[in-house]
Amino acid sequence: MSRPSIGPFIVARPWLRRWVQPLANWYNNAAGYRQLGLKVDDLIPEENDVVQLALKRLPPKEAYDRVWRLRRALQCSVSHQLLPKAEWTKPEDDQQYLSPIIREIEAEMKEREDLEAMVLQKRKRNETAAGH
Amino acid sequence: MFPRSTACRGAQRALRPRAVLPPQRRGLAAPASGSFQYQAGDAKGVKFASRDLAGQTTTLALVARAGTRYQPLPGLTEGLEKFAFRSTERRSTLRIVRESELLGAELNAYHSRENLVLEAKFLRDDLPYFVELLGEVASSTKFLPHVYNEEVLPLIHLAHKAFLASPTDMAVNSVHSLAFHRGLGVPTASSSTTPYTKYLDPATIEHYSKIAFAKSNFAIVANGAEHGELSKWVNQFFDGVPAAPAEETSVGTAQSKYYGGEERIAHSGGNAFVIGFPGSSSFTGNSYKPEIAVLASLIGGESSIKWSSGFSILGNAKASPSTQVKTTSAIYSDAGLLYTTITGSASHVAETAKAAVAAIQKIAGGQITKEDLQKAKAAAKFKELEYGQDVKAGLELTGAGLVHGSKAYQIDEVAKAVDGVTEAALKAAAKSLLENKASVSAVGDLFVLPFAEDLGLKV
Repeated sequence: MSRPSIGPFIVARPWLRRWVQPLANWYNNAAGYRQLGLKVDDLIPEENDVVQLALKRLPPKEAYDRVWRLRRALQCSVSHQLLPKAEWTKPEDDQQYLSPIIREIEAEMKEREDLEAMVLQKRKRNETAAGH
Repeated sequence: MFPRSTACRGAQRALRPRAVLPPQRRGLAAPASGSFQYQAGDAKGVKFASRDLAGQTTTLALVARAGTRYQPLPGLTEGLEKFAFRSTERRSTLRIVRESELLGAELNAYHSRENLVLEAKFLRDDLPYFVELLGEVASSTKFLPHVYNEEVLPLIHLAHKAFLASPTDMAVNSVHSLAFHRGLGVPTASSSTTPYTKYLDPATIEHYSKIAFAKSNFAIVANGAEHGELSKWVNQFFDGVPAAPAEETSVGTAQSKYYGGEERIAHSGGNAFVIGFPGSSSFTGNSYKPEIAVLASLIGGESSIKWSSGFSILGNAKASPSTQVKTTSAIYSDAGLLYTTITGSASHVAETAKAAVAAIQKIAGGQITKEDLQKAKAAAKFKELEYGQDVKAGLELTGAGLVHGSKAYQIDEVAKAVDGVTEAALKAAAKSLLENKASVSAVGDLFVLPFAEDLGLKV
């Protein structure tokens, strides 16, 4: 599920981004998931309907790779080891692959709710007419 | 004794201020066009036709030359049909549905052998909205993989199941494939799962949409819309569609050739027997024969009058009242098929099939009364004109006529042609049927259903 984020706010302002980017890079490396070969979207909790639906919509190759990464990370975790450095996730590979789908699904759900809560008004030129 | 509301209704009505009715563009009593003539036009390369029928509703259709005949890969037409009115770049599926519901409209998409039709029926005032919607569907539908997997594929699969469960559908499609092999012979629904599991995916459908919805390949047809109005909106909303097809395909464009033959399919769900002969092309096509329509209503089988078996030869000769017989003159742009469909219990179907062949032999031998001919002509003419009056029916034919030959389907002229059919022409037509190879398809209990050879047909 998408969390509240100040990311877009920062990205929209290049001067601010220049300041925060090194900090973000440091944080992502320190978080430790790259050392287990995971991508950032692998960390999204999947125990809810939205993410489950998003996972179903993943292209087959992406879905396969995701499971493979998770299993590899689990093995590492169980054996209390990190991957050899060459296999760590590179920052340029660490792209969002699931979040865009989740955002799409959330937008769909929001649209449905909005339409459900819609208030109807008659068109001005039809107001005087009897029925329509 | 009377409920209050009933007793005072008259008083209530008298007191109520008169509603101001909008001035009608044309009163019902005023002479409507009196004919079914379409006005055709062209807006930035998009062909359109309209006729201004009196009334408060409009039927608008986009007729694309993208029926199963023209699909380069099996299943594409179905895929495109089921993707109609799904999410576009500007609106989601849900939004399209809700907005149309609010306007009280009906949206519908279907395909035939030659055409893919996207149809909207709505109140006259909402014309701009629906022209825009059709323009959007044609130009900017999003062919998303998950929409395909979650919504489109199940529908195609359902159509496949329904097709397999219906002996009549199977027999009619089988007779078409016997008669025309490829092109017109391609079945309208998938007879196996292969087409849509092997050849179909969203990217392919998207590519095909760029061919099917190119300006040269579709026409807009409206019933109950003012010509000027339609012209204005079509001009405005069809900028997004490609001017030329993304790829020139020649699939299905070759002149249809009649082959004929026999096919027998075992089926446990019922019995259907179809006997087909080469027929007449549509009026806008190149081999139009009005006598085929008269022949179809003379052989007939279905009665148009309740509690009567009708005048048609098969209506009287069928083996039992529960046996259903129907003779159809299927017309396509450049060919046609005259076929008799017989369904019912196996032994009755077999018996009626013999009667059908006997009926044609009888007509060819000239053993028909003047009265029967008169009735058949009247029935054929009525059917044609009623078809024209039916707001929906002419849409597809008109659109197809525009796309194929820039000529709208003018029903008045068709009716005139039917009037001119003589007994000699009818006899000659029946004789040529028997001389040609027939297409015979039997679906059901093959132990009982006869072979074409047994009926005395050439295959």
